[in-house]
Amino acid sequence: MDNDYYSIDSILAENQKIQCTFKVEIPDMGHLDGGAERDIKPLSKMQIPLWMAYILIYSDYADFSIPTPFNAKVRNALNAEARSVRLSGLVGQGGSWYGFGKMIVQLLDDAPADEMSRILTKAFRDRLLEVIDQAQHFAAIGTGGGGSANGDAAQMFREGLESVERELFVLAQESAKRTKRWYETTDKSVK
Amino acid sequence: MALPISLRSSVTPPELELIASEQLIEIIPLISMDKTAFISGAYGPLRPPAKCRLPIWMATNLKLKKKCHIVPPEWLNIDFLQDRLTRETSQPEFCAMPFRFAEVAKIILDVASDDVENPDKIRSLLKDLREARQAKSREGITKLDHSELTLPNLCSMEINEIRPFFIRSMGVLTQLVREPSAAGDI
Repeated sequence: MDNDYYSIDSILAENQKIQCTFKVEIPDMGHLDGGAERDIKPLSKMQIPLWMAYILIYSDYADFSIPTPFNAKVRNALNAEARSVRLSGLVGQGGSWYGFGKMIVQLLDDAPADEMSRILTKAFRDRLLEVIDQAQHFAAIGTGGGGSANGDAAQMFREGLESVERELFVLAQESAKRTKRWYETTDKSVK
Repeated sequence: MALPISLRSSVTPPELELIASEQLIEIIPLISMDKTAFISGAYGPLRPPAKCRLPIWMATNLKLKKKCHIVPPEWLNIDFLQDRLTRETSQPEFCAMPFRFAEVAKIILDVASDDVENPDKIRSLLKDLREARQAKSREGITKLDHSELTLPNLCSMEINEIRPFFIRSMGVLTQLVREPSAAGDI
């Protein structure tokens, strides 16, 4: 999620497309869209990978619109109940919703960027407790334990975890397991 | 970094136990021994009826060879733990416990439960205490933000358990929160 050049997470987070509207004509680049057009006309809309969109937007060749994973519908759903939104479904399998969001924040100006950052932070904090609770629950019942421990809602939530949340889930689960194992083993041998 | 992710940010519980074993504890020796020098210091002499302070690792070693009785620390008894448990469940904050109480209590109960009064009751009190405190550190998650977190009186084993995901979450929050001063960077 950091902007480190070598960060795989960062590269994966950039692997998302955003809708750009071109402001200028760009000759001989029509193939970017996969279309038959030879040139990119002004006002034409195109899905551009984020890593390419940066330079277009900063050079003022194009504008972009807020991508679907962060549109008003998703925002409303997050406001209503952050835990019931399937973030993984919004950015594809293994996608990083927060990482993507963070990149959008960097593209936006002050007020919308603050708003976006607030949404991301709130969603993260609202979901964190549930992530940790479930991770610890699964550590407590052991790996082989039943899948639907506390109902379908919990399972839906787990399936909706995005990559950073998955990472946290694993961290919390591993840690709880190690501690549990320590509490439960007794070593009475003479060393 | 070749270490698994889970080991990068924290040590393992057995390592903490090892660290806790350096603490001194009172024993009643059953053998006599002259003052002996170790890397961490000189301990002894052991003169049977007289109490002596040794590191826990040495005390457990002697105990396992039936060469001493361990005197449990003053906090490892039912009255003290019961009192702490009552306070723990009635107050919102953590109450003060010795920093490495979980490790020390486990070592002593494992190897010297016959030197402790009513070990089963103590075990269950420690477990209740641990669960009460765990519930509170769970509350701490809701208070988490990107810059600081204060959970006073949290003990080493508890810190170690929550450390990996607390610091990762705080790292994520640092990334997500937009500081006013960061406007226009990149």
